[in-house]
Amino acid sequence: MLVRWHWRGQMQKGWNLTGFDDNQKIRRLRLKRRDLFAGSLAFGAVGARGMWNSVPAAAAALQRTAVGGTVPRLVPMRAHADQITDIKVCLRPFRPAGPRLDVERVGDKVVIHNYGHGGSGWSLSWGSADIAVGKAASLSPRRIAVVGCGVIGLTSALSAQRAGFEVTIYTRDMLPHTRSVRANGSWTPDSRIALTAPAGPQFADVWEQMARYSWKTYRDYLGLPGNPIDFRDNYTLSDTPFEEGPEPEGRTGPGDYASTGMPRATSEFATYGDRIRDIIPAPELLASQDNPFPVAYAQRAPMMMFNFGAYGHLLLSEFYQAGGKIVIREFHTPADMKSIAEPVIINCPGYAARDLWGDRTLIPVRGQTAWLPPQPDVMYGVEYKGAAALSKSDGLMIQAVDLNNVGEMEGVGNSFEHADRAEAEKAIAVFENLFARFPAGRG
Amino acid sequence: MRGSGYACRAGLGAGLLLALVQIGLPAAHAAQARTVSYYTTEQAQRGETTYQQFCAVCHGASLAGAFDVPPLKGRFVTNWSGATLDRLFDYISKAMPLFSPGALTPAQNADLVAFILRENGVPAGRTELPATDAALKTMVFPTISADRVK
Ligand SMILES: Cc1cc2nc3c(=O)[nH]c(=O)nc-3n(C[C@H](O)[C@H](O)[C@H](O)COP(=O)(O)OP(=O)(O)OC[C@H]3O[C@@H](n4cnc5c(N)ncnc54)[C@H](O)[C@@H]3O)c2cc1C
Ligand code: HEC
Repeated sequence: MLVRWHWRGQMQKGWNLTGFDDNQKIRRLRLKRRDLFAGSLAFGAVGARGMWNSVPAAAAALQRTAVGGTVPRLVPMRAHADQITDIKVCLRPFRPAGPRLDVERVGDKVVIHNYGHGGSGWSLSWGSADIAVGKAASLSPRRIAVVGCGVIGLTSALSAQRAGFEVTIYTRDMLPHTRSVRANGSWTPDSRIALTAPAGPQFADVWEQMARYSWKTYRDYLGLPGNPIDFRDNYTLSDTPFEEGPEPEGRTGPGDYASTGMPRATSEFATYGDRIRDIIPAPELLASQDNPFPVAYAQRAPMMMFNFGAYGHLLLSEFYQAGGKIVIREFHTPADMKSIAEPVIINCPGYAARDLWGDRTLIPVRGQTAWLPPQPDVMYGVEYKGAAALSKSDGLMIQAVDLNNVGEMEGVGNSFEHADRAEAEKAIAVFENLFARFPAGRG
Repeated sequence: MRGSGYACRAGLGAGLLLALVQIGLPAAHAAQARTVSYYTTEQAQRGETTYQQFCAVCHGASLAGAFDVPPLKGRFVTNWSGATLDRLFDYISKAMPLFSPGALTPAQNADLVAFILRENGVPAGRTELPATDAALKTMVFPTISADRVK
């Protein structure tokens, strides 16, 4: 049965992948329900709850409305451009074929690559590290080197320690100076992680393995002092019903990756979210009397997110406590790896692999976040009109996710890694305007 | 990663020029890997069928394991290389499949070990892996060359 019911908002790639960063193509990307619920709509949105006997059946009833009274009183966000404390810009290390995880020999060293995680590096880090460390472990070394100290390098190093190896990190920069901490920092595991065609069906399996493994590992960091990992209710707002509207193509030019060497449309980007929807909280609609936002339609989903400060420091102290060493060193060519003492090297330079390893398949995808002072009484996130706001322990983060209505193509090929204040102010204005009219009708 | 051998454990400095499998410590294993025929292609194929039927549900179709199930490749090699194969055969025979330990026949378990060896980069040979402890005691789980890491 072909279900022509498009899900809109929350995440363009499937409701289950909360997340915004790249993921939320707030007005433009609709979920292809066909993919999600093929054949399962017999029970449909009206199916009796007692009859759900499978995940798809339950998911098909997704238009469930939140139980009345479960929307807490929300403290409004104080979103004003004159409150900006920081603007961070980074380039997502996007590889059309998906992250590089193969094994290469450099002199007498064995190099296991672990880079190119696009807009999903935080989310997939532990699962990707587990794969890289597994490959290293099959060589039974005693000591392992890790190049890079972004989130991929750090989780690779910790995973190697947990597998019993002595680990040294060689890096140019420590975490606070890496691109990793210039991200949004929420669970967006299939955000610009690959293009469907070049990645092929095998990568979907690898992706699922990484996503499941990471998700479980992150659960181990919940509820700790300082909340390194936390959940927020994330509200996706829309002026029109979520299920309406044509599916946008998000096209920026003619052709496709195969013909031009660059993706040209959002539809080329891989979406794998449905593979893990059994473990990712689904969104629910807010009944209009419960909707505090001055916007006709709202849905809510709990979303996992990463507090960079608390989490980054925790990872680093875990690494040191387990006897890890860090050497500040910059490598200029792959041959420089021969200077490393350890026989096995996990290579995690992120976007820098484009030059360090001459990997021209790495495509920069620019992204920017603006940071306002922390608002600890604001315990939620909002997505509206192509912008995202999320209250984190280290600040209120506001990101222009898709102000230009090009979906996943936003920032693709753009390596201007420099703050654009006008963009930040535009995104902040979305929320300044929204909260000036808040709460709706209940005041 | 093509080219000469790789031996990561200290004590095996000089690269061993083995086509497919290199051995860590002790060096005796190296000689064995060169000469020993571990299993046949058909046997590993049978093992794969058995694996997909009884083991993949937990250890994964690609032996990758999961958060709370150990992988049967990668880290697995660190756990077992250097041990004689009767140990692994015994473990699988007595403890696996977890939901019904000991349910498989010795021949099936030998096939499974053959399949696991194949998936960890050990090349096929001309004779089947035997299904008795006595015979397996003389064979060692080898370490893997970088060229064969999957
Ligand atoms: C705006 C934005 C938002 C994002 N939001 C999210 C999100 O919400 N969720 C999510 O999961 N992902 C998100 N991402 C993606 C994520 O940030 C990246 O995938 C991830 O940070 C990549 O980490 P990395 O460790 O591979 O690279 P990096 O963080 O770049 O680390 C590379 C490391 O290698 C070192 N290095 C580099 N070159 C050399 C050299 N030559 N010699 C020695 N050392 C070297 C560097 O010093 C650094 O330590 C976002 C990205 C952006 C840009
Ligand atoms: C129901 C899930 C399940 C099934 C099915 C299963 N296993 Fe396991 N297996 C496990 C778990 C869990 C462990 C770890 C056991 C422990 O630590 O006590 C394990 C451990 C192992 C180990 C030891 C790993 C190591 O690194 O030491 C081997 C080998 C193994 N299994 C092989 C098999 C084979 C072969 C089959 C199929 C005949 C199989 N398993 C079926 C869950 C399963």
